[in-house]
This record gives sequence, C-alpha cells and structure tokens, in this order.
Amino acid sequence: MSTPAVHAPAAAASVPTVPALATKSLAVGLAGIALTALGLLISGSHAVATAWLVGLSFWTAMAIGMLLLVLIHHVFDAMWSTVLRRQLEHGLAAFPWLALLFLPLLLATWFGARDIVWPWLNPAHVVLPEGKTVGADLIYAKKSGFLNLKALTIATVAFFAVWIWLSARLRKASFSQDADGDIKWTRMNRVTAGFGLPLAALSLTFAAIYWIKSLEYHWFSTMYGVWYFTNCMRGAYALGVVIMFWLWTRGDYKGILHQDHWHSIGKMMLAFTVFWGYIAFSQYFLIWNANMPEETFWYNLREYGDWWGVGMVLVFGHFLLPFLLLLSYRYKVKPAILQRIALWILAVIFIDLCWNILPAIKDAHGNPQPFLSLNLLWAATSTAGVGGVCVWAYLRSFSTAKLIPIRDPRIGESLVHHE
Amino acid sequence: MAAQPYGLIAGFSNPSEIFHAAEKVRDAGYTRWDCITPFPVHGLDNAMGVKRSMVPRFSLVGGITGFCTGMSMIWYMNGYDYTLTVGGKPLFSPMFAFPVSYELTILFTAFATIIGMFVLNGLTKLYHPILKYEHIRRATSDTFYIVIQADDPRYNPANTRTLLETIGGRDVAELEA
Repeated sequence: MSTPAVHAPAAAASVPTVPALATKSLAVGLAGIALTALGLLISGSHAVATAWLVGLSFWTAMAIGMLLLVLIHHVFDAMWSTVLRRQLEHGLAAFPWLALLFLPLLLATWFGARDIVWPWLNPAHVVLPEGKTVGADLIYAKKSGFLNLKALTIATVAFFAVWIWLSARLRKASFSQDADGDIKWTRMNRVTAGFGLPLAALSLTFAAIYWIKSLEYHWFSTMYGVWYFTNCMRGAYALGVVIMFWLWTRGDYKGILHQDHWHSIGKMMLAFTVFWGYIAFSQYFLIWNANMPEETFWYNLREYGDWWGVGMVLVFGHFLLPFLLLLSYRYKVKPAILQRIALWILAVIFIDLCWNILPAIKDAHGNPQPFLSLNLLWAATSTAGVGGVCVWAYLRSFSTAKLIPIRDPRIGESLVHHE
Repeated sequence: MAAQPYGLIAGFSNPSEIFHAAEKVRDAGYTRWDCITPFPVHGLDNAMGVKRSMVPRFSLVGGITGFCTGMSMIWYMNGYDYTLTVGGKPLFSPMFAFPVSYELTILFTAFATIIGMFVLNGLTKLYHPILKYEHIRRATSDTFYIVIQADDPRYNPANTRTLLETIGGRDVAELEA
C-alpha cells in the first residue's frame, strides 16, 4: 500500500536548492573554531576546553531535542507537526559533525593533560579547599568505577553511536517514503520511536552526568538529566520556530503553515518553559531546604561574584519572561513575535549552560572565575564555531529532500491543521 | 399572539452553506445570533465574527490571586502571626512558600477558568427556547441551523426572515420565547 502525494503548494513538491547561507555558516563555524583555538594561547587549555564544552553541549542539546521531537512525533502518530518534521530530520544531520567536534576533548584527555576538562581524570589534581588530591579522595575512590577515562570514552562513543544510528534510521525511512509512498516506512519509524525514546532518554541523561555534572564530581542531583532534557526540548522547539520563520519569510512555507501551527508549537514552548521552571526550582529547593554542605556547595559556587546575577538572569529570563510572554494567545500566533521569543530562549539556554559549566574554571583560591571574563568569550566563539558547522550540516541536508514529507499518511491532515 | 418571540431559525444542509450564510449574517451586522451544527465546523468562528473568548482573563486573575494568597498566607502564619523557626530557616522565605503558592495558582486558575466559562456561557441553564423547536433534533444529525435572536438590535421580523431566506435558509420558523 502506498500513500499518494497530497495536493500541496508547488514549493513543497520540489526539492529546495542549497541556500547561499550554507557556505556562510560554514565560514562562521570555521572562524569560531579558529578564534577558540586562538584562545588556547591566551587563556590556557583548561579554560578554553571547558568553554568548548559549552558550545558542544549547547548544539548537542539542540540535536538531541530535534531527535526527541521526531521520535515523539512518531510514537504518538502525531498530526500537526508533520509539516515541520522534515526540517527536524535535516537538523539530525549534525550528529556526526558533533561527534567529530567532540573528538578533540577526548584526544586531549588521552594524550595531553588528563584534567583538561574533567578534574577527576587526573589523580594529582588538587580538590580544593582541603588540599587533597583526587587520588587521595575517598569520594572519588567510591565513584571511580564510573568516573574513569575508559568509561568516559566508551560512554561518549556509545552516546554518539546511539544518536547517529537513530537519526540515520529516521532520516532514511522518511526520505525513502517521499519516493515510493510506502506505508512500511511509517511503521519502521514507529518501531524506531518505540525503542529509540528510552535509548535517547538514557543516553542524554548519562551524557549530562558525564560531561557536565561530573565537573563537580562531589555533587549529586537526580534532577540533572531532566534539566538537560528540558534544555534539549526547549532548544529544539525554539530552533523549530526559527526554522519555520526563516522558511516562511523566504516563501517556502507559504500556504503550508497556518496560524494553528504557530499556536501549537507556541503552546509546547510554554509547556516546556513551565517544565524548566519546575525542575530548576525543585533542584534548588530540595538542596536549599535540606541545607547539607555536601550539596549546597554547588550553589554556593554559583552565588560567588557575578554568578549570582547570572542565576537571577536565569530565574527571570529563562523562566518568568518567556512564561509571561507565551501565556498570550496573540504572541503565539504572530510569527515575528514568536520568533523573537524563540531567539531569546536560545540565548538563555546558552547562559544556562555557561552557568552550569563555566564555574568549573577556578581561580587560584578555588573560587569560580567570573562570568564576565574571557571565558565567556571562548564559550561564545565555541558556540558560534560548533553552531556554524551544525547549521551548515542542516543546510547541506536541506537540499537533499523535499520541503515536507509529501507522502506521509498524516501530511494531508497537517496541511489543514485546525484546532 | 402578542408575546415577543425568541427569534428566527433557519436550516442549512451542509457545512459550506452554513459557512457562507454565517458570513452574510455577520456582515449584515447581527450580534445576538448563533449557529447550531451536528459537529464542529472549522473556521466557523471566524465566519461568524466571534471574538476570542474572555475566559483567559478570568484564568489570569485567578492565577495571580492564587499565587498572592499562597505567599501572604504563609507569611501571615509563619512570619507574622505565629513565628516559629523550623530547621534554621528564616521566618519567611519565598522558597518554602513557593510550592504552596504554586499549587494555589493552579487551583484558583482552574476555578476561575471553569466559573468564568460558565458565567460567559450563561450556564447553568435548565431550559433553552430552541429546544422547543420541533425539528431541533436534526441539529444532532444532518441539519445546520442559524438562530437570530429577537433581542438583537437589528432584528425585525420581516427583514430578518427575508435575510435568512436570501442566504439560503430553509424552513424559516419563529421560535417561541
């Protein structure tokens, strides 16, 4: 059985050309990477490598978020998001490049300074303020089965393998269906979604623990994977809106997107804004209420110097402002306004990742180096560098398939989506 | 019969007919009228010129009231009326007042939304004049109806009847109040 192609605007039926933007974004990416490399000479390898982790985890979050959206789309047999799904599938093309860009961190750890990013990889690393080294630290000894170089390497390879494999299956099925309209591709995607969701959930949780939480390996929080997950989802929705707006103003999405598509994605953005507020508050509140030094030190580090202000920016900018704006129906159905809210959310996700990662760069007294320092610049160049490559990967994939999955069984309903 | 009728009712046989008829009733300037259809007709709200519901305003007021109630209740109880130090915490902090305020935000929003919806819909109502119309059951199966109420400022028994007939309405009938 095959699904016939639907009647859709002409733009949807043809394969779009590679936008000139592709070379530009690759240039931005390479420039960002070059600037970050320059930072090695100025701020030293530890600070720059840690800042590189900000750029990597930001764009990995975007790609994981897109992967989750496609998986969730299939597992729910969703309708309205079919017109957007193809663009998310193009976004998944970034995974192999993200793996490649992660490689320098692993190589530097294997062959260079062990603690270039993660302190627990070097037994001689001094765990302040006690003056004790990692090697003499009982907490490390207890966690060493999990926190060691081999485990980190195997886990990181496994994470990217899972993400690349799931993406390849989803992309292949979706693109093949454009040609033959065979329903078996939809069924295959449903199966991928069934086992892919738990795999993606576990891998992103462990990635957040290994890459980010372990920067302060004494600390623990069961909310941490959920925190990263929320940023993945919020990032993917925000990026989805940015892509929708780009294709809509360019004319590709004219006659495809309706007010209700904007409204639907806006509502999901609101839901995950509330969810971020919920989990970020829960994590803080439980630690604040228990008031145990073994947990509170992580927040104390983030109240030191100008980091306190950054925390306030997150409370009001990552939660309250988008929450109040997205409550409004009018803002959700006006593409230009929704796109601005989406860009703001992307900016605060970057700040959120800085707030979680950069305090790992300490000064001589063991206090976090300030937020407004060169480290922020390297985090920004890293994010631009990794981002340029990811956007280039997206745009390269963009011109290999039709704008929307034209023979998906749900595309007809999605084109006339109405609440 | 001197009593003022409830209004006029006219039947249409498919969604497209009622859609276009609704646009014409809207353009004729009527405000107190309604469409009765066997199933939701997408876009009919626009064709009728229905504005967005006011229910979200009720929800917002309810939510803000709930949040403030939670915060002030905890402050009054623990920070003012019966001060008690628990676990070395300050007498009042928005931190521990937050979960309660958040729950009350949701609770009051839900109440305000439901009550606002009922009030704006004119519910609860035990009786509606349209139910006296003998063919109204067909509105649940195969006929689409437009009802124009007699208390509409533009209502005029003769002109409104002519309008309903020209836009394609069949079996135009007067409804008893």
